[in-house]
Amino acid sequence: MHGERPGFQGMSDDSLAWLGTAPIPAAPYHDPAWFDLEREAVFRRAWLQIGHVCELPDSGSFIRREIEALNVSLLIVRGRDGEIRAFHNVCTHRGTQLVEEESGRRGTFSCPYHRWSFGTDGALLAAPDFDRFFIDKADCALPRVALDICGGLIFVHLGTPDKGLRDDLGPYATMLDGFPAAQATTFSEYVYEIDANWKLTYDNFQENYHLRFIHPRSGAPVVGEDNPFGYPVKMGFHGPHRTQTIWTNPAPAPKPVQAQSFGRAARFAMADGTAGPHSRDYLALFPNFFILGSPAQPFSHTVWPIDARRSRGVIRLYWKGEDDCASRRYAREYAMASARDIHAEDRDVIEAGQRGLNSGALKHIHFQAQEALCRHLFNAVDERVQAYRAERTSATPRPVSRAEAMA
Amino acid sequence: MTTLLPTGFEALAPFADRWAIDGSITRAARRGAADPAVRTAFFAAAAPLLDAALAHLDRYPLDALPPAEQRLMDMMLTLAHVSLTEEILGDQEPAHARQRQHMRITRTPAGA
Repeated sequence: MHGERPGFQGMSDDSLAWLGTAPIPAAPYHDPAWFDLEREAVFRRAWLQIGHVCELPDSGSFIRREIEALNVSLLIVRGRDGEIRAFHNVCTHRGTQLVEEESGRRGTFSCPYHRWSFGTDGALLAAPDFDRFFIDKADCALPRVALDICGGLIFVHLGTPDKGLRDDLGPYATMLDGFPAAQATTFSEYVYEIDANWKLTYDNFQENYHLRFIHPRSGAPVVGEDNPFGYPVKMGFHGPHRTQTIWTNPAPAPKPVQAQSFGRAARFAMADGTAGPHSRDYLALFPNFFILGSPAQPFSHTVWPIDARRSRGVIRLYWKGEDDCASRRYAREYAMASARDIHAEDRDVIEAGQRGLNSGALKHIHFQAQEALCRHLFNAVDERVQAYRAERTSATPRPVSRAEAMA
Repeated sequence: MTTLLPTGFEALAPFADRWAIDGSITRAARRGAADPAVRTAFFAAAAPLLDAALAHLDRYPLDALPPAEQRLMDMMLTLAHVSLTEEILGDQEPAHARQRQHMRITRTPAGA
């Protein structure tokens, strides 16, 4: 229906109607007060994808990661026992941030202020003149943050998780195990800053309606006569997470260098065993992480909110094994450059959308049936924000009686 | 000039100074800043040699390429970027180059 032709079988609009059809309020996409609710209701209550195990190859390897939406700096360390742990990057003496470097390897973490020293397991090992304090060293370990790993990807939870990571991801945990990133030992990365709300930014990458207009040339492989908008073959949902199976033009017309480059990447993927059953599958894990199962362009994309109207995107292509020959190095450089080209095309139009919304001219925005993944994200966010608001209202302290106060 | 590039790749010699570039960030920037005619000429000379160049380079250990082979490697890595303009974008390149600058490369296996 709606102009789709034989040869492409997507999701029928009716099969997605359970997500609702109503207009979507515009304020959540630009309003600072709404974003303040999201900080707690969404970002403090979800597993957040923060890194990859290949960044922490050895005992003492560490990475520092900032989560601006929660005003948090994290120190993620592989301990002597091999376990990866996350801590707040704060000395327990008087709060000084312990580590400035983005990554590195250390046996201990020593505070620059008064030289309190912590082990890779977060324990306070030594502190000068400690006998003059009124506490035990055992009570001075670095504050721990919940951390779990799935498919090689490191997730943290800044609140109290009500579910373990795999339980939360459900069937998508097993899918992640089969994605190329699960076997990765290195990666390419590029980063962008954008003057746009994190959901507006994220939504761009989970609807295909825009492809033919914004990516008329670079997006040619994913639109075609049978499917002019490049709508997904399949969409799926689990809790606040979602997936789509990307449609591929059955009659692609790659250019010569393009064909040679992706041909090499595909041969390496076959040889490496990273070409799994999920090569057209795309996972969107709530709240702000995407990952693609394609072995030729195995990219992930995290959209970090900075404030209501600013975000940062981190895009990685995960690779198995170091560059061992010229062809492999070339194929990876091409894959990175071509993915970067496509992502570069989206940024301007997302910012234009944000400027329009910031004017307050619109009370509502609209998602069509095939923008179902965007609607699903809004529904998941809205549900959490409303629940958080209700909690805060019911948690308003009742008057305390004199007897209770004295007890 | 005899050691500038490996035997069989002499045709690329006039392009080596400008296009044998160390580092993914610099390669990407050179693509965007290049004079279109100069970039097109490099692509026309290098693209037909891509397969042969990689086949030649694959015979050497990647971390110990002789200087001529390293130069050829760096030119092929730049070709990866340049080909996207020449094969895919065409006249969209100027607007695209401005947008690409916002995508900051921070790490690549080849060395950012």
